[in-house]
Formats: sequence, C-alpha cells, structure tokens
Amino acid sequence: MTEAERGWSDDAHRYAEGAGAPPDGAAERAGVDRFVAAVQAYRNGLPSLGDELDVRIMAGVRARPRPVRVTGWRWLVAPRAVSVRPALAAAAAVTLIVASSVLTLLLLRGEAPAGLDGGATGSILVRFEVHAPQAERVALAGSFNAWSDSSIVFTRGGDQDQWTVTVALAPGRYQYLFVVDGSEWIPDPLAHAQIEDEFGQVNSLLVVGPRGVVRS
Amino acid sequence: MAGGLSDGRDDAVIVQRVLRGDVEAFGVLVHRYREAFGRYAVASCGDADVAADAMQEAWIRAYDALATCEHPDRFGAWFFRILRNQCHNHRSRSRTHASLDDVTVPAPTRTDARVEWGELRGLMERALQRLPTEQREAFVLRHVDGRPYAEMAALLGEREDRLRMRVHRAREAVRRELEGHYD
Amino acid sequence: MSALRWGVMVASIAAAAQPAPAQERNVRAELTARGAPPAYVEVIAERVSAARAARLPAGPMIDKALEGWAKRVSAPRVEVALDQLRSRLEAGRAAVIAAGASEPTDAVVAGAAEALARGLTPDDVRALVSRAPGSEAAAAGLMVAASLHAQGLDHAASVRAVEEAYGPEVDPAQLYELPSVVAGLAGQGMPMADLARRIMQGGGLPLPPMAGGAGQGAGRPGQVPPGPQGNQGSGRQQRRQ
Repeated sequence: MTEAERGWSDDAHRYAEGAGAPPDGAAERAGVDRFVAAVQAYRNGLPSLGDELDVRIMAGVRARPRPVRVTGWRWLVAPRAVSVRPALAAAAAVTLIVASSVLTLLLLRGEAPAGLDGGATGSILVRFEVHAPQAERVALAGSFNAWSDSSIVFTRGGDQDQWTVTVALAPGRYQYLFVVDGSEWIPDPLAHAQIEDEFGQVNSLLVVGPRGVVRS
Repeated sequence: MAGGLSDGRDDAVIVQRVLRGDVEAFGVLVHRYREAFGRYAVASCGDADVAADAMQEAWIRAYDALATCEHPDRFGAWFFRILRNQCHNHRSRSRTHASLDDVTVPAPTRTDARVEWGELRGLMERALQRLPTEQREAFVLRHVDGRPYAEMAALLGEREDRLRMRVHRAREAVRRELEGHYD
Repeated sequence: MSALRWGVMVASIAAAAQPAPAQERNVRAELTARGAPPAYVEVIAERVSAARAARLPAGPMIDKALEGWAKRVSAPRVEVALDQLRSRLEAGRAAVIAAGASEPTDAVVAGAAEALARGLTPDDVRALVSRAPGSEAAAAGLMVAASLHAQGLDHAASVRAVEEAYGPEVDPAQLYELPSVVAGLAGQGMPMADLARRIMQGGGLPLPPMAGGAGQGAGRPGQVPPGPQGNQGSGRQQRRQ
C-alpha cells in the first residue's frame, strides 16, 4: 500500500488541526506542511464579499414590508427583489429543460374519457391500465368517485388481457383501487405509492399534476 | 479567524429593535454576519458572484422571517441556516455553467514561490469543489474559517463527533488531491 | 293562529328549506344514496357532527366513511378508523395553529392530518405551513410532502423538496408535479437515498416550467409493462420501499 493509500497518521491529522506536535516521518510532515500552506493560500486568495454588498442588501431590505408576527393568514407574497445575472438565469433554464425531458406525459388525445367533470379546463386525462385476462368486469373506485364500484368501468383492449380506462381528473392527490368482478379490490402496481387504508388493507396513491402524470 | 457568533444579548436587542420598526438597525446584523460568514459563502458557492447573490437572498429572507426567529440571542446560528440553504440553491443553479475543468492548475514547479502559491490555491479549490457538500462545509468552517468544533456544532445542528469525522474525511480527500499532483 | 305567528311560521319553514351551504356536505344523504343502512348511517353521522362541533373538517371523515361502506368494512372497524382520523385531524389542526395560523382552512387541516398519517412529524407540518406562500400552497404542500414520503423519500427530503418548490410565482397546483418527477427519476434507476441526498444538497427537485404547455415532451404514451399472469394478486401488496 503506498503512502497515498494509507492516509495520514493520527498525529498528522492532529497536527493539521493545529493541535499536537508534528508527525515523526519526514515525508508525512512535508505533506502536512503542504496541506497547511494550501489552506492558507486558498484562504488568502478567496475573494471577499465587500462592504458594498451590505449597501445592496440594505437597499433590498428597506423595500420589504415590515416583518411582523404572522397571526391569522397574513402571508408575505411580495416578489423577491434579487438581481439574477443573465448567465445564471440561462443556467437555471437549462437545468429545468433537462429535467422536464424526464417527464413523458400520458396525455392521450382522441380517446374518449369517462369524464368526471366533462373535461373542464384544468383537468388532466389520466389512463389506468390493468392486466386481468380472467376478469369479466373491471371498475375503478377511488376518492374521485366516492369509491363507487360501478361508475367508472374499464374496457377490454384488443388483446383481451389488458383493460383500460381514461379519466379526466383535476390536479390533486387521489387514492383508488381496481375492482375486479365486483368483489376483488386490487391495487395498481403503476401507482406512485401504496398506502394503508386504515381498514387493514392498501390503497393506491396517484398525484396528478397540471401537466399530467409520470409513473415509475 | 473568521468572525465568531457575537455576544447573543447584543443580537437579541437589535432584533427587537428591528421588529419594533427600526429597519436601519438591521444593518448592524447584516454587516456583522456578512463578514463572519462571507468566506463560508464564497467557498460553498465556489464563486464570489454566486455567493453575493446567495448572501443577498439570505438576508432578505432573514428579514422577512425575523419574527419567527425563536431565539434572537442565537441569531447568528439561525441566519447561518438560512444562508446555508441559499448557498445550496445558488450553487446547484450555477453548476451547469461552471466546470471543474475551469479550475486550471499549473504544472508543479519548484522555482517560484508565487507560482507554487497559485498552484496550491488551485489544487485546494479543485479539491474542495469535488468534495460532497457536507464534507466541504465542515472543512471550510474548520480550516478556512478556523471555527472550533463546538461552534460548528451550533451552526450546523450536528454532533461534534460527526463533524470531526467529516472534517477528517475531507482532509484525507484533500491530501490525496495534493499528493496526486506532486508525487 | 294570529297573522303574526303565521308569518313567523312561514318564515321559519322557508329558513329550514334553505339548502345547506355549498361547502357543507350531508353525510346522511351521501351514505344513504349508496345504500348504507340507517343504523350505520347514524353511527357515522354522530361522529361527523362531533368533529364539526370541534371545528374539524368533516370532508375527510365523510370520505373515509364512504370508502369503508364501499369496501363493506364492518361498522366497528369503520368507527375505529374514524376515531383515529379524528385524532389526526386534531393533531394536524394543533400543528397548523402552532405554525401561526389561527383560523386554518379545512384543506390545510386535512393536509396536516394526512401528512401525520403518512409519517411526517408535527415539526414537519409546522415547517411546511409556516414557509408556504399562501394557504392553498400550504394545503397542497402538505399533501405532496406526504405523498413523496409514501413514495420512499425520507421525511426530511420530502419536506425540503416541497419547501424549495414554494414560491410566490409558483401556482400551488404545480406542487402536484413533484411525485411524478420522483417517479420519473426513480424509473430511470436513481435510488431513493441518492435522490434524497441530492434534494438536501441541491435544494429541491427540478420543477418543470409551466410555459410550453402540453407540447413539451408530450404525446408518446409510456410503455406499459406486462402484468403477471392472471389477476393482480389478492389485494395485498408490499409497500414500495
């Protein structure tokens, strides 16, 4: 094992922290000394945030509403007056665009939805699918339809094994299950999470955003 | 040594004054802790302009939320947490256009002390930017700011033994970077 | 009957015939419409009105009762669930008030109760409420943080992700994007622990901008994995870690 792999002795670490005597080995001692010199060089070379920043900060502070204890619901919603340098803004945009390509949305066009609110603006088409070749009837029951096992019914796909239904939902958080043949309540493996239903079983959880849903 | 957390009573008095309407009194806190934590901000963000933005945003938020500061005698630690948060935000936002390769390190030479100084600084900068955030923070507070572990524990809300371990690991990583360059 | 008393009687009948305020749901009507027997309905209704008297939101309790009935859960079991829900609504309300809101909306209290149910702490609830830019955002933020935690993100990262997404320019509905972002990243192979670490270090999850609408990245439906043979199990499934 080379010295580089072995690491410093405890003495060397203590010495680097400014406590204790220098380590015995010459090479180790030289290494610690170089470390200390590097820290010093770094510290001395750090640009400082000067007093003029204080001026800029106080100018921003004076423009803010007075800080008061929040009683009731007086929320401070004034826009933040922070100068964003153009390069920084562009960088932020790049990060967001890269991230949004991760979102492949299940927005389907042309598929008649079992609309709950007639496709009102702000509602998202969400498709549910389940593989149930032996079933004769599959329904969707959840917090969006008071858990009725008859109001939203799946249709069988071309291959007879896959059942689907598309529902218009407003952005929000929903719990639901699939009801097979009126009696078997099963979770959706494509849900965001499975959570306890407080009756000793699980519900599936899906959170619908204004631009749709991504499943795992 | 960087500015320590000041006498808490003084800070508490100033906070009360500001909450009663004396905006200008806030400037005392701004000056005190901008100085105390400025190096931390620059080292954390890796860039002075980014650090300045983070610092400004942190102060605005501290002012807005001043009434929620439950222990005004520990204003420094409370503000530090806000600043730390902003440094994280601003650092990650700027990361897409800053590259580690931009930190050029000249080839080793034994001839000129000034050149070596620049080398060492460049190496340290690069080593720090490569550290995981928590290690970098702890290293900066300990070695660059020179704060005692007890103070670091108060600022970061972490146990001292954990912080010592973090600094230890960071030191080892820096050591490897330095030795890798010179050996 | 004198004209005056007749007038008074007509007025009071008219008043009684006024429909209940739009927000106030009628648990009896809803349960009865779904075929629940009167005895069951009464037990539930009693609990709901007690909750209302304590200024707790009735909606979550009514929803839970409807769910219990739909699943044909026994009445005693539903009662227990409602009692537990009531405790959480009380705890949620207390946490929200401790955060500085003296008259919280039902949505926020319900959100707080849900957050506590999913394993967030009262401190988490206080943080989410006090840092929200408005009560709508607070309600959404609580629900979303609860969901992120249910997806497997540790509670600190769940809270931090929401806090970082709060902002005066952010429509509260956008907060509901976060679980999809997590699902997408997890689907690309990122372990939850790594995601949590990135959130804590980098200050949040990337929240896609609203501008651009459905055109951005939309259209192609995701691949649906083939399910297992036969029906999907017996209704019990491992909680996703």
